[in-house]
Amino acid sequence: MTARFVRTQKELEGRYEDVWVLVDEADDVETWAPDADLALVGRPAPRQDGAARAAGRVRFTVDVHLAGMLHAAVLRSPVAHGRVRSLDLEAALAVTGVRAAIGPESELSLTTRAPLLAAEPAYAGQPIAVVAADTPEAARAGLDALALDLEVLPHVVDPQQALNEQRFTADPSDDARGDAEAALAVADVRVELSLDTPAHVQTPLEPHAAVASWDGDQLTAWVSTQGMFSAREELATAFGLRKDDVRVRTEFVGGGFGAKQGAGFEGLAAAELSRATGRPVRLVNDRHAEQLDGGRRAATRQTVRLGARRDGTITAIDADAVIAMGQGGWVMPVLIPARTLYHCADVRALTFPVKINLRAQNAFRAPGVMEGTAAFEQAIDELALALDLDPLELRRRNHTDVDQVSGLPYSSKHLLACYDRAAELAGWAGREELRASRGDGLLRGMGCATQIWWGGGGPPSHATVRLDADGHAHVVTGIQDIGTGTFTGAQIVAAEELGLPLDHVRVTGGDTGPNVYGPLAGGSQTTPSVMPAVRSASAKVRKILLQLAGDVFEIAAGDLEISNGRIRSRDGAIDAAVTEVTDKLGNATIDGSGSRGPNPEGFVVNTFGCQIAQIAVDPGLGEVRVERIVAVHDVGRIVNPLTASSQVEGGVLQGMAFALSEELVVDPTTGVPVNAHLDDYKIPTIADVPEIVIDFPHVPDANLPNVGSKGLGEPPIVPTAAAIANAFAHATGRRAAGLPLTRARVLEALA
Amino acid sequence: MSSYARPASVDEALELLGHEGAVVLAGGTDLAGQIDRGITTPALLVDLQDAGLGGVSADGDGVRIGATVTLAELARTDLLTPYAAVVTAAALAASPLLRNQGTVGGNLCQHTRCWYYRGEEWQCWLGGGDTCFAQIGDHRKHGLEEGDCISAHPSDLAPALAACGATIVVRSADGERELPLLGLYRRPTDENRSLVTLAVGEMVVAARLPAPPDASVYLRTGERRTFSFPLVSVAAARRGDALTLAAAGVANIPRALDPAEPLAGLPGHPQSAWKRTVLETLVERASQAVQG
Amino acid sequence: MTITLEVNGQRHVVDATGRRLLAVLRDDLELLGTKLACGEGACGACAVLLDGRPVNSCLLLAEAAAGHEIVTIEGLSTGRASALQDAFVAEDALQCGFCTPGQVVSATALLEQTPGPTREQIHEAMAGNLCRCGAYPKIERAILRAAGDA
Repeated sequence: MTARFVRTQKELEGRYEDVWVLVDEADDVETWAPDADLALVGRPAPRQDGAARAAGRVRFTVDVHLAGMLHAAVLRSPVAHGRVRSLDLEAALAVTGVRAAIGPESELSLTTRAPLLAAEPAYAGQPIAVVAADTPEAARAGLDALALDLEVLPHVVDPQQALNEQRFTADPSDDARGDAEAALAVADVRVELSLDTPAHVQTPLEPHAAVASWDGDQLTAWVSTQGMFSAREELATAFGLRKDDVRVRTEFVGGGFGAKQGAGFEGLAAAELSRATGRPVRLVNDRHAEQLDGGRRAATRQTVRLGARRDGTITAIDADAVIAMGQGGWVMPVLIPARTLYHCADVRALTFPVKINLRAQNAFRAPGVMEGTAAFEQAIDELALALDLDPLELRRRNHTDVDQVSGLPYSSKHLLACYDRAAELAGWAGREELRASRGDGLLRGMGCATQIWWGGGGPPSHATVRLDADGHAHVVTGIQDIGTGTFTGAQIVAAEELGLPLDHVRVTGGDTGPNVYGPLAGGSQTTPSVMPAVRSASAKVRKILLQLAGDVFEIAAGDLEISNGRIRSRDGAIDAAVTEVTDKLGNATIDGSGSRGPNPEGFVVNTFGCQIAQIAVDPGLGEVRVERIVAVHDVGRIVNPLTASSQVEGGVLQGMAFALSEELVVDPTTGVPVNAHLDDYKIPTIADVPEIVIDFPHVPDANLPNVGSKGLGEPPIVPTAAAIANAFAHATGRRAAGLPLTRARVLEALA
Repeated sequence: MSSYARPASVDEALELLGHEGAVVLAGGTDLAGQIDRGITTPALLVDLQDAGLGGVSADGDGVRIGATVTLAELARTDLLTPYAAVVTAAALAASPLLRNQGTVGGNLCQHTRCWYYRGEEWQCWLGGGDTCFAQIGDHRKHGLEEGDCISAHPSDLAPALAACGATIVVRSADGERELPLLGLYRRPTDENRSLVTLAVGEMVVAARLPAPPDASVYLRTGERRTFSFPLVSVAAARRGDALTLAAAGVANIPRALDPAEPLAGLPGHPQSAWKRTVLETLVERASQAVQG
Repeated sequence: MTITLEVNGQRHVVDATGRRLLAVLRDDLELLGTKLACGEGACGACAVLLDGRPVNSCLLLAEAAAGHEIVTIEGLSTGRASALQDAFVAEDALQCGFCTPGQVVSATALLEQTPGPTREQIHEAMAGNLCRCGAYPKIERAILRAAGDA
């Protein structure tokens, strides 16, 4: 390895930071040609661990049982804003089986920027105290014994009220270019749309969870997280430990969807209690706690004003968004769609992140952009209506190959092909005939929406590969497979590069122990970040293997190739199993390590797509049924079409639910969410599934070296709600005042 | 922590019910939630599974349904096929897993649905407190009647049985009484917040259906295609020219509707008034469906 | 109360006082395949077979389960269930896998009752098993595949 440090930019969801990256100048992997005939990459493959998952044999964090393990229970605020008057920790400790009890005034061994426990909770569900006991029953009894006395303080949960009172979590931002106001004033055609989008809860079936265990000053923590290296960092910092004295394990995660970042409250509290008691501690959110405190996509109120020329050219975009942030959190890029979807020189985008007494917003699959698209793409359809233009045609006319914010070209963009393909698959040409009555009393319509998102990945990201005497390769990654199938993607890429059959390659991850770094499972970055590293590592092993084969067969390594576990010479004289070379290894292994190189400069790497929804509305009941969703996404090279289509189906279903039924509702009187349980927060069942038709342009991104893949985790959720809302407007001629399209909203729109 | 008993007969069950804090346990699908949310704190759970309350049998021109018959069994019992509304209601309630556990008696006696009533953070009027939080807060899924409690009763089976003319058989240590199905329910009052007319020591042992109607239907709309409490549902049954209607989701107990004026007494509240439109639609469709 | 439970063909004596079947299965019998995801009967991740029919073990009192035949995902490892599991893997009817044991339990019971189900029947029978990752389209395909291969 010829190691060098280079300075490059790392991008995550549109946020850029400068980083040093370790590159190997000896890494000479050639980018796969777009039409390369690959044996495994691009072909459907079942998940590496599928059988174990289907048999219920995999162990999630909630399944970790250690000897002597204590059970933690959390006392959470029952009010939206309060002040703790008294908390009887002594009484809790006196309960049989309780081994530790901590509250806001307790002296903790860890240090965090913000207090772990709240003396003045600012949202319902905020942790006030934690008890650890021998059994879950004893822990609950310990909670009861705390006899919490809380002074109730005033709360604000209405975003409009927060706006009026200028309560912000961060400064309002004004992202402008040109002069939108002036352009709007002189536009031939103007439309304006105001919409509400709902608070949307990730609701992973495995709640946030952690099990912490100390061995002297060494900490092992199982955390249901999407970011085990962030978790390691947080735990090391909190407890003043060396990073290599902290091991985070997260081999299997029962869904995350953005909610599970770092160590979480669970990881920190479990580690604290474990240190205090000298025993392992398990802390798992019950479902109510998960829905209150696991996180959510913030509700927004958005207003979009568009101006255009008669020929369909958009000339002005003026958008604002009030985001109901909660107590803090990242201000998600709600207005990125307004700023970048289409070509426009005069744009204004005002964001107001308001502070209310709810948990801080966190990430939920394509945060900001999804809810921004839900509003903006509806405004575009209103513009199409005002211009009497086909909605897809309007979008085509305002297409741009250049990122509108930076002015840089996109590394690849096959959006126009996505529009055409989606239109073809959906029968877009027959859209008007669809509205004709079929005698079933239902109103039908079809609507489209454009998807934009990031997904270029980047360094740092590493992998190691070891090939043994049996010709079996072990790939070690630093990634978390939260259901995305990325372990299997890595398996495919490694097997391809090594020339081995798929089942001769095993991929592990979800453990910081080996200290092979991978990015968090978020921002659609795993595939584009990790596959190149895996391929590079595999390429090195392949090179060495061929050199050794050359020694064994007394032929130049350059005359040999490997595929499907066999080594062949170009003249066909040699055709041997890989093991004929590797069995001479004995207990040694051929090793290689690889890393993701820097991102190409001078480009913006985005993903694009188009979805078209066909719906039927029962006007007598206010019921919307989604009959069909066509989804076409440009994400570069697809490594595993089987898991790729699963990602699309998953994103579409979550987007559909956002459009139809999901909404975290907050009681105005007390400021406490009323449906933080699954009985009143309805996620789709199998009976709600529409027909989902999926396709991809399958064009590798030529500017992303090595593999040419972009990420797919988030793109599919981005346009679905907008497409459904646009289909609703097409079917009924009316637009609802917001999402979700509940009975009440639909009936109101139709009245 | 509750004690547990599994009596081998109805008499034994009734005897146990006489104990302080004793509560009937059938499928437990609603009771479990009540216990977990602190709505009910039983001292003793009287498990009815072996008390001989199962079975669906012919009963003169009609049918007798034991209180512990599960919804799933009900939906697949041939004897009940002529009562289409009842079969549909049983087949559409809840989820397949819940239908395998939930019973007729349990479904009828389940507590009402209101996220304030069911939520641990509120002690609402129905739960013994002073305030109906729904009326001053978010009541988008709630009932249409006026009164102290505007929750929406979720039983699918109740309106279907009521429309088909069912009666309820109630037994206590003192004997048995039979009453029309809707007589099982009462309006909660300041003195007594219970939604059922059962006295302490009484339990439902059966539902009885008379001869089947000429036609019946059960229509509902929920928050998703299936596995949802009925936001609004209507059961309709026709005997000759006479139409009987009952509804769920529009009041804090299951309710009869006057075919001449189905919306009478159901003015709605600002956020739940949309249910009136849906109710009208379902009444129209149900009425049409049972006409010849 | 100490009771005897019959689980996957084996008898176990457990202290069940006030506890739900799910807790006994996971904490006492170390049968970790059945999951606690909501605790309120809303998601089906806790599904087990009780006398051959799928029920929510998070709601079922362990004491009430005594005297019945309980089968968990661990007990479904041969015959029809195994073919079903193969179909799940082949069709990618799972993503994170947390809901999968419950899905397999309900699907096993469905195919037992109805060897050749229609799509409608699949939707009806599987509606109590939520999947947040959205594997539904492929769960349907897997069940149809397993039914077809039977």
